[in-house]
Amino acid sequence: MIKFKNVSKSFGNIKALEGISFEVEKGEFVYITGPSGAGKTTILKLILRELQPNSGEIVLDGVDITKLADEQVPFYRQKIGVIFQDFKILTERTVRENVEVALAVTNVPQEEWAGRVNQVLKLVGLSERATLFPNQLSGGEIQRTAIARALVVNPKLILADEPTGNLDWETADALMDLLEKINKEGKTVIMATHNEMVVEKYKKRVIKVKEGKMASKEKAPHMEKEPKKEENKEENEEKPKLKVKVEEV
Amino acid sequence: MANIHLKTALDYIRRAPFQALSAIGVLTLTFFVATMMAVITYSSGNLLKYFETRPQVIAFLKNEVTPQDISSFQNKLTNDTRISEVRYVSKEEALSIYKKATTDNPLLSELVSPEIFPASLEFSLTNLSFAEEVINEVKQEEIVDQVGFTASLGGESTLQDVVSRLKTITWYVRLGGGVLAGMLGAVSFLVLIVIIGMRMATRKGEIEILNLIGATPGFVRSPIVIEALIYCFVGVVVGWVLSFLLWLYITPNLISYFGDIPILPKATGDFLILFGIILAAELVIGSALALLGSMLAVSRARRAR
Repeated sequence: MIKFKNVSKSFGNIKALEGISFEVEKGEFVYITGPSGAGKTTILKLILRELQPNSGEIVLDGVDITKLADEQVPFYRQKIGVIFQDFKILTERTVRENVEVALAVTNVPQEEWAGRVNQVLKLVGLSERATLFPNQLSGGEIQRTAIARALVVNPKLILADEPTGNLDWETADALMDLLEKINKEGKTVIMATHNEMVVEKYKKRVIKVKEGKMASKEKAPHMEKEPKKEENKEENEEKPKLKVKVEEV
Repeated sequence: MANIHLKTALDYIRRAPFQALSAIGVLTLTFFVATMMAVITYSSGNLLKYFETRPQVIAFLKNEVTPQDISSFQNKLTNDTRISEVRYVSKEEALSIYKKATTDNPLLSELVSPEIFPASLEFSLTNLSFAEEVINEVKQEEIVDQVGFTASLGGESTLQDVVSRLKTITWYVRLGGGVLAGMLGAVSFLVLIVIIGMRMATRKGEIEILNLIGATPGFVRSPIVIEALIYCFVGVVVGWVLSFLLWLYITPNLISYFGDIPILPKATGDFLILFGIILAAELVIGSALALLGSMLAVSRARRAR
């Protein structure tokens, strides 16, 4: 579904990403991990076309999004659900209105709004909070509002940037359960996190970045099925239970 | 879909009522002055037209002329492009005009009979600069006894002086009104841009979020444009209503002061049509102002980002 091919991004003299390559399959749940400043958020911003790489290709469903015209970017973004670390919720709108905005942006007919909003609010457990404003909600509820907004447009891809970063463990746990549930419904989830506990508990494929470079990556499932090369045979035999191959970059 | 943009626009107005009031206040003042100036321009135009179309030349006919001669001469004048509003005044009509003019002294009218008044053909000139040549030509006509050129209107020596003075005054009124309305329009435009710019600044976070979730530039712009349209619409209507009420109040006095001069429509229907046309024109101008101002403010804000 998504392919990063040798992507680099600099901010002035600072190299935020250098030669990043990875693939994410449709319906996968992938973590992008690494310490603060490693480039996790930059990768998500590149996927969202909030940033443009200095070199390399980012291909989503066969389309190189780095070559999208500016006027096509909003329509591209409408296909992606984003959950931000700092929530990015409209503070002067109620929970329901925050979710409705996403429908308005994607030109969903107004008669469909009530049904779709009720459905996602029920999914994230905010049906009772629909008329409240963000300042009347807890951090977890605000994050769930953001998830509801991301889901309501039925995106094929969900980007989550440190969604548990501002939450206590219990709330983070509930949020991860919710993301797993969404993933099981067939949506691709790419989640940037440095929360080791989350990664440990909810085991998924991990793409590690460090100082803007690939620290390691586990192969996408479809790549696992490819015939293994002779030189890797021994290694694969040694770790029969490990489904993925770790590459040092 | 428009509902969400209208609701957002109304929310912005509710959240910053003083910005909204200042925008509406300036626009109201602009359109109040614009309506006043439009009516003054209309009235001064009518005043000028009235004097320009007064019978300016009177060709007094000889006593022995036949109706055929008169008719033939009248047709000749009517077909002349320099001449307008040709009217035949018979001896009887001349007497009646005389009697009307001397109602305060009935003795004067009792002493005269229609026979002493010559029949005449009265006409106006499309342009007073033709006066001399037309009078000279008319004097050459056999059936014409004398030619009179209307004079002594008020304190002016000739009608030409009156018209030329009126033209000057009308020109100054129109120029002054246009400059005043233009200046106020420019101030309104700037105030609109400043207020929309402030709105964009306060909405920066919201616009950023909308962009990230895939809002098109049109979606982001719509509430801003609607807000500007609301300001202009309210400004136009309030300004127009205030001006309309003022004209309703002063019109009876003006009509009685100017008497026969139709500076304003006397019939209610015509009066309402005049103000309806002004309102429609102002709504168009207001909408253009709102669209242009909001688009400019939005594009400036986008460039600044």
